[in-house]
Amino acid sequence: MSATTIPAGGVATRSANDRRALGAWIGLLLVVMAVGAAAFVYQFDTGLIVTGMRNTMMWGQYILFFMFFVGLSAGGLIVASAGRLFGVKAFKPITRLAVLEATVAVMLAATFILPDLGRPERMLNIFLHANLTSPMIWDISIVIVYMALSAFYVWLYARADLARRGSWLAFGTGTSERTLAREERAKGAMAWVALPAAILLHSITAWIFGLQISRGFWYSSIMAPMFIASALVSGLGLVILLALVLRRLGRLQFGDDLVALLGGLLGTFIAVEAFLVLAEYLTAFYPGSPEGDAVTRMLVGPYAPLFWFEIGVGLLLPFAILVVRRLRTNPRWVAAAAGIGIVGIFVHRLDLVLNGLSYANIQLPPGLPVGTDQGGEVAFATSYWYVPTIVEWLIVVGVLAFGALVFTIAVIVLPMQESEAH
Amino acid sequence: MGDKVSPIEALSPASRAWGEIGERSEHPHWSMVVDQERCIGCWSCAVICKSENDLPLGIWWNRILTDGEALDQPNVVRGGALEMHWLPLACQHCENAPCVKVCPVQATYHRDDGLVMQDNDRCIGCRYCMIACPYGVRNFNWGAPARPTPHETGMVAARAVGTVEKCTLCVHRLAENQVPSCVWSCPTGARVFGDLNDPAGRAATLIRQREGYELLQEAGTKPSVHYLPPRRRNEL
Ligand code: SF4
Ligand code: SF4
Repeated sequence: MSATTIPAGGVATRSANDRRALGAWIGLLLVVMAVGAAAFVYQFDTGLIVTGMRNTMMWGQYILFFMFFVGLSAGGLIVASAGRLFGVKAFKPITRLAVLEATVAVMLAATFILPDLGRPERMLNIFLHANLTSPMIWDISIVIVYMALSAFYVWLYARADLARRGSWLAFGTGTSERTLAREERAKGAMAWVALPAAILLHSITAWIFGLQISRGFWYSSIMAPMFIASALVSGLGLVILLALVLRRLGRLQFGDDLVALLGGLLGTFIAVEAFLVLAEYLTAFYPGSPEGDAVTRMLVGPYAPLFWFEIGVGLLLPFAILVVRRLRTNPRWVAAAAGIGIVGIFVHRLDLVLNGLSYANIQLPPGLPVGTDQGGEVAFATSYWYVPTIVEWLIVVGVLAFGALVFTIAVIVLPMQESEAH
Repeated sequence: MGDKVSPIEALSPASRAWGEIGERSEHPHWSMVVDQERCIGCWSCAVICKSENDLPLGIWWNRILTDGEALDQPNVVRGGALEMHWLPLACQHCENAPCVKVCPVQATYHRDDGLVMQDNDRCIGCRYCMIACPYGVRNFNWGAPARPTPHETGMVAARAVGTVEKCTLCVHRLAENQVPSCVWSCPTGARVFGDLNDPAGRAATLIRQREGYELLQEAGTKPSVHYLPPRRRNEL
């Protein structure tokens, strides 16, 4: 990438190349989305039997990605709005990016609910017959409110620059001193609303799981704090990665000192998450109660590798990287730690879902009916080994491609960098 | 419920009398009392449930758990004695039903007589109720229903793919003042159907006298189904 390798007239060539690369990228995303849509139509037509889920493991990959993306979204917005609220000027260059990331992530989270429903075409029943005692209703409400809030937040941040460019996206607003001053106040006010909204969003998502007495593994008051901590890790991790990518592409400028600062913050979040995980499982494990059994299963059972991966690779390793000053000041290491941290949180969620669901509550033989004609195989089970099918993967990857497309377009259309004029 | 014609009119008076619901109060709270001392684990009730309610292959509203390690092995208890008991398990029709609380669209709901019902025309198939139910008695229609014969056997309408179903306490028979089919068909009379609001009724009396218990009482679901623990000593 050094200047010497660019031939004469290289700038023009490179931008043509860039344009071609961008076209290929968008084309690829569209193809993946189309395949995902086809897989969804197939699933809609055949029923959820085409997934790996059964009565013995009734939620799977879709819900996993739903809560993972809620976390990515909440984490990004918490960091952005907390920076604003507490006047951390250093965060300024990445605030827009964080808010945009939060918006796209929550959109994806909402999308992941759809393929999980057995009757997506009846979705409107959620509004027509809402049951106010259902945490799912609370969650869908906050997702909608939050989606609107964060989209508005993105616009608020980009508005002045859009207006300067004369873009219609500014909706006719100007850049007079008064408008700008009012806008600054609005940004401050939005931070006050967005921060609690983001915390609420992820707490309620945790409560979908944590309020269910039927699932001893989940039924714990620490679920919401733990979800927030892991949201901070994964959300900030993703913001760091995206910021570094955009800097690479020349869409964003900031110094390495910001990366080090964010790296330090990420290390702190990881430590908090690790502390909560320890507090939770020690409490559950110590008395050796039936709930402890689920924890024993987690520590040494068939899914134990996931747990130990989460602890060793997901928490300890990135923490070890970020705690060393010399590594923290190197963007490559911070990026690596962020990436590993995100994977660790994902595995943590996976472990929660698998351990929470795949064992029948009443462990007496023969167990639960699996729920489909097993073609001569055993129709009952007390535990179930869930493997997502190819259809589930295609749908998930399709939704991810949709997110990447929205994000790509937003980065092209919206100014990511606050203009110097301001 | 369905568009099926009730076969109950076609029964002989004796059969009809056999299935009559006995004493009841003015506002009954229906209950099932399962006597574990009588149950011999024959699965008759599970099978008649399948045909009565037209359950597709793979779906069971009612099933018989063996109390122990393996399906057909007695437990060895204190002093080397052998013991074998069963736990017939279907929806407990909880008064404080977690499934009713969590259903986002009120597709699962309470009736005044204590029954927890399921509206398969409204259910969106989110399966949150299956997560919330501590007893694992809810079944999802994962695909198009598969049946061993092309002839419909059930007395009620089939449920749509993509929705959840479970025991209704044969609500279509209650309307005819007849007990659920698992009750009249049990060869050992291990099931008693009755009204909890009638303190002198058979169900309430049995629960009192035999120290009937609620399954997973610690979950606080207040089941309408009660179990009578086995008393028999197995020592010779
Ligand atoms: S047993 Fe399960 S399905 Fe039946 S009422 Fe209770 S919670 Fe609901
Ligand atoms: S699966 Fe149906 S009945 Fe169960 S909670 Fe969802 S909408 Fe309600």
